[in-house]
Amino acid sequence: MSIFRKLKEHLTDVLYVWRQEMKQVIRDEGVLMFLIVVPLGYPLLYSWIYNNETLRETPVVVVDQSHSALSRQFINDCNATPDVDVKYYASDLDEARSLVSRQIVKGIYLIPADFADRINRGEQATVSVYCDMSLMLAYKAVYQTAMIEAGRMSAGLNIKKAGNYTDHENAITAQPLIAHDVAMFNPSGGYGSCVLPAVLMLLRNGQLIPDDDPHYRGAYRVVWGKALCYGMVGAVAAAYLSMAVPRMFSFPQLADGKTLLAMLLPYTMACIFFGMTVSCLVRYRENVMLLMVFVSVPLLFLTGVSWPQSSIPGAWHGVSWLFPSTFGVRAFIRANSMGASVSQILPEIRILWIQAAAYLGMACVVYAYQKRLARKHVKTVTNSTDLIEPDDQ
Amino acid sequence: MKTIFRFFDIVLRELNIIVRKNRIYGFCMVVFPVLLVVFFTTMLDEGLPQDLPIGVVDHDDSATSRGLIRSLDAMQNSRVMYRFASVTEARNAMQEGKVYAYLYIPDGTASKLMSGRQPNISYYYTMTCMTAGSMVSKDLKTISTLGSAALGKATLSAKGASDEQIRAALQPVTIDAHMIANPQGSYNYSLTTVFVPGILMLFMALLAAYSLGMEMKFDSGKEWLARAGGNIVVAILGKFIVHALVFLLVIFCYQYYIFDVLHFPRLGGTWSIVRLTLLQVAASIGFGIFAFGLMPSMRMSMSISSLWMVLGISMCGAAFPVAGMDPPLQAMSWLFPLRHYWMLYQSTVLNGFPVIDVWFHLVALVAFTLLPWFVLRKVKNAMLNYVYIP
Repeated sequence: MSIFRKLKEHLTDVLYVWRQEMKQVIRDEGVLMFLIVVPLGYPLLYSWIYNNETLRETPVVVVDQSHSALSRQFINDCNATPDVDVKYYASDLDEARSLVSRQIVKGIYLIPADFADRINRGEQATVSVYCDMSLMLAYKAVYQTAMIEAGRMSAGLNIKKAGNYTDHENAITAQPLIAHDVAMFNPSGGYGSCVLPAVLMLLRNGQLIPDDDPHYRGAYRVVWGKALCYGMVGAVAAAYLSMAVPRMFSFPQLADGKTLLAMLLPYTMACIFFGMTVSCLVRYRENVMLLMVFVSVPLLFLTGVSWPQSSIPGAWHGVSWLFPSTFGVRAFIRANSMGASVSQILPEIRILWIQAAAYLGMACVVYAYQKRLARKHVKTVTNSTDLIEPDDQ
Repeated sequence: MKTIFRFFDIVLRELNIIVRKNRIYGFCMVVFPVLLVVFFTTMLDEGLPQDLPIGVVDHDDSATSRGLIRSLDAMQNSRVMYRFASVTEARNAMQEGKVYAYLYIPDGTASKLMSGRQPNISYYYTMTCMTAGSMVSKDLKTISTLGSAALGKATLSAKGASDEQIRAALQPVTIDAHMIANPQGSYNYSLTTVFVPGILMLFMALLAAYSLGMEMKFDSGKEWLARAGGNIVVAILGKFIVHALVFLLVIFCYQYYIFDVLHFPRLGGTWSIVRLTLLQVAASIGFGIFAFGLMPSMRMSMSISSLWMVLGISMCGAAFPVAGMDPPLQAMSWLFPLRHYWMLYQSTVLNGFPVIDVWFHLVALVAFTLLPWFVLRKVKNAMLNYVYIP
C-alpha cells in the first residue's frame, strides 16, 4: 500500500468517526442536555443569581441604652449608609437576640448607657457590634459600616476640639494622610464579575466528557475523530461562554480575539483529551456524571478564584496541575477581566499545550488498551454487563 | 409479618448490590465524601487567607514611607513581596498574577505629612479574587488610619499625654466586635459546612435516581418488585433504608470529625445536629426518587437532580445571600433542599437558636422527604412496563 493511499484511508476513518460521533451526540438526549442546555442555560442562571452583586440594606437592630443626641447621631449615620438599614429598636440584648434568631435582622448595635458621658468626659466610648456570622457578606456590611461611622464620628469630634479656623484645616485634622483605595478589574466589587468567568470555564471542562466506545479501528483515528466532533461542539460553546455571556451581563471583557483564541484553543483541546482519558476509566457512562459532580466544586477552588492561589496548600497545588481547568480559568480571568496580554499569560498557555499533548497521548494509549480488552472479552465472555456499553448499531 | 420478611429481603438484596455488584456505590457513599472532607478541611485550613503577596511602589523613599511599608508587611493578611520601580511595572505584575495589590507612595509624602499639606497615597487591589481583594483592602484601611494617627500620636506624646489620653483623643468612638459563633471569621467554618453537606446531598439524590435507573437498565426491576410482593412502598423503603443508613453513618463521622476533632464552633446541642442530619438524608433521597418518578429515564432524572442540586449550592444563600437576589429568585430558593438545610444549620446548630424560629424550613425538608409519595405508582409502572433506552 502506498503511503498516499494509507493516508487517505486514515483520513476517511477519522472523518467517519467524526460523523458517527456527531450523529450520536445529536441522538443522545443526555449528551445533548450537557452540551446544549448546560452551556446555554447555566451561565444565564448564574449571572442572574449574582446579578445584584452586592448586598444592600442589611437589616440590623439597635439597642440604644444611652438615649443621647450622640447615640442618635450614630444610629442615623449608620442608617444613612447604603449597606445597613436600622430596622428595629430593641430595649435589651435578649430582645435583639430573638430578632436575630427569627432571621429578621443580621446584626445588633449595642450602644451602652455611658456612651455620651464618656465622649463628653474625653474618654474612649465603645459601641458593641454583634454579628451573625453565618453570612460573611452580611457580617462585613454590619461591621464595616459601624467601623466607618465610628471613624467619621471620631473625626467630627476631633475637629470640634481642634478649634481650627478654616475648612481646609478641618480636613487636615480629620485626615492628615489621604489614602485612595482603588479596586481594579472589578470596579463594583461585585460577586458576579468575580466568580462567573470561572464557572463558565469550568462548565466547559464538565461537558466535554465523551462517552461510549464504538469499535473503530486504530485508537489514534478514533481519538482524532472524536476530538473533531467534540471540538466542533466545544468551539461553539467556548465562543458563547467567553464572548456572548459576558456581553449580555456586561461583565468586564478586556481580552481581544487573538488573546482569547491563544488560550481557548489549547484549553479546549486539553479538555477534550482529558475528558477522553477519564471517560475510559469508568464502566457505565452514567458514572461519568457522578464523577464530574464530585470534582467540579473542588476544581473551582483549585483555580484560585474563590480561594486565593497563594493560600492553597502545596499538596493541592500539585494536584491542580493535573486539570486543564486550573490554567484555563486563570488564563481566562487574567486575559478577560484584567486585560493581560498573551505574553503575560504565556506560562498558563504553555502548560495547557503540554497538557493537551500529554492527554492526547494518554487517550490513545487508553483507547488502544481498551480495545484490546474488548476484543479479548468478546472472545471469552459474552456477558456484556461487565464491560463498557456495547454500542447500539 | 410477611411484609417484614420481604422488607428484609429487599434490604439484603440492596446490600448485595452496594457491597458486591457495583463499586460506584462504595465510591460515592464512602470514598468521595471522605475525599471531600479532607479536601475542604485541608484546603481551608488557614481559615483566613494570610500573607497574600503584594507589592509597593515607593517613590518617596523616606523614613515615614518605609515605616508604612514595614507595618503593612507586618499585617496578618499581607506580605510585601515585591518592590517595583514604577506603577506600570506593578500593574504588569498584577496581570501576571504575581501580586494581589500594590501600594503607591508618591514623592514628597513625608514632607507633606509633616508640613500639614495632606499627602495622597494610593492602594490598588484586584477584585477578581474577592476573598483576596477584600483581605488586602482591609489591611490598607488599617494602614492609612495608622499613618494618620502616627502624626497625632507624636504630637500628643510630645505634649505629655498618657497612652490612654492619646487613644481617647485620636479615636473617641471605637467599635467592639462580637463575631458570634465564628470569632476568627474563618472561612473554613463557613464554607466547609456548606460545600460538604451540599455535595453529599447531591450524591444522595443522584444515587437514588441512579439506583432506580440501574434497576430499569438491567431489567431487574421486575424481580425487585416481585421480591417485595408487588408492594412498591416496601420495595422503596427497603432499598433506600440501606442508602440512608450508610449516608447517616458517613455524615455522623463527618460531624464528629469537624466538631470534635477540628473543633468547629457550634452553639447548638447534639440533638440539633442529629435532627438536621436525619432530615438532610431523608429529604435528599426523597428528592432523588421524585426526580426519577417525574422522568423515569436514568439519564434525565440524574441530569435533573445533579443540575438542581448543584444550583442549590449557589441558591442556598451561603455565599451570596438570598436577600440580595432578585425577588423571583428569592421565591425560587424555597425549591432547593440545600437552602432549607443551610437555614436550619446556621440557626439551630451554628447559633444555637430554638428550632421553632425556623420551623418552616423544617417542614419544607419533611415535605421533600414525602415527595416520592406522589410518584410511587409511576415508579412501579416504569419498573414493570418501561424498556430501557440507552
